[in-house]
Amino acid sequence: MKAECDHAVEYLYQYIDEELTWSRRLRVRWHLRRCGPCVDAFDFEARLKERMKECGRDEPPQELFDRIRALIEQEAAGGQEN
Amino acid sequence: MADQANFERDAMQYAQQLYSAALRMTRNPADAEDVVQETYLKAFRAYDTFKEGTNLKAWLYRILTNTYINRYRKQQRRPAEVELGELQDLYLFKRLGEASGAERSTEESVLESMVDTDIKAALESLPERFRMPVLLADVEGFSYKEIAEILDVPIGTVMSRLHRGRKALQKKLWSLAEQRGLTGPSQ
Repeated sequence: MKAECDHAVEYLYQYIDEELTWSRRLRVRWHLRRCGPCVDAFDFEARLKERMKECGRDEPPQELFDRIRALIEQEAAGGQEN
Repeated sequence: MADQANFERDAMQYAQQLYSAALRMTRNPADAEDVVQETYLKAFRAYDTFKEGTNLKAWLYRILTNTYINRYRKQQRRPAEVELGELQDLYLFKRLGEASGAERSTEESVLESMVDTDIKAALESLPERFRMPVLLADVEGFSYKEIAEILDVPIGTVMSRLHRGRKALQKKLWSLAEQRGLTGPSQ
């Protein structure tokens, strides 16, 4: 069992990131069906990844959008003159 | 000349995401705004070279990353980046498990009780070359292949930096959780 746990943990991130080939994914999933401690560890890592995503967003000030639009406007106008 | 209306329609929807990413890179709102502004200007100028039907979001992130690097790497006076050293797999999970003793499900409840600012701070504490892959994978949800293209490094490099960056992030989260008193057995 230990070797299978090591194998699962080795591919943990690729599993969570959905980057494993079908056959490797199947092998990890097969192990997870029989190993409670690995399921807990995988759930934890997946939840941490979700938490990272949840708190990753910051609201920019509205002026930033206005400034970008104005810059593009200016650039487009300048480009047409040339 | 790139079509202004098309560009705004397609590219402006990513402004908030790009700003958040820029904030994690620069760690400073004013600098983040500058980087995003410059990114959009460069993107508009180069929009003719963007291939319709390819990944616009990844293309914008690549410009954002290059803009940040060109602007700020030169002026960084920090010492050369240190290696992270070897860290254990499942670092945070194991530390939390040891701290909570026999109680189950405590590990995940600590994640829920961590404040957003601590999680952001942990990410921002990573050295740049580990911070970028973690940011792009975890927060932005890019694939390894997309991250390799955005950062212009081989996919194997993305994977190893991501792996080590995540472990270092966990170490930082552990020390922040300890400071907040979140790591003892629950009452």
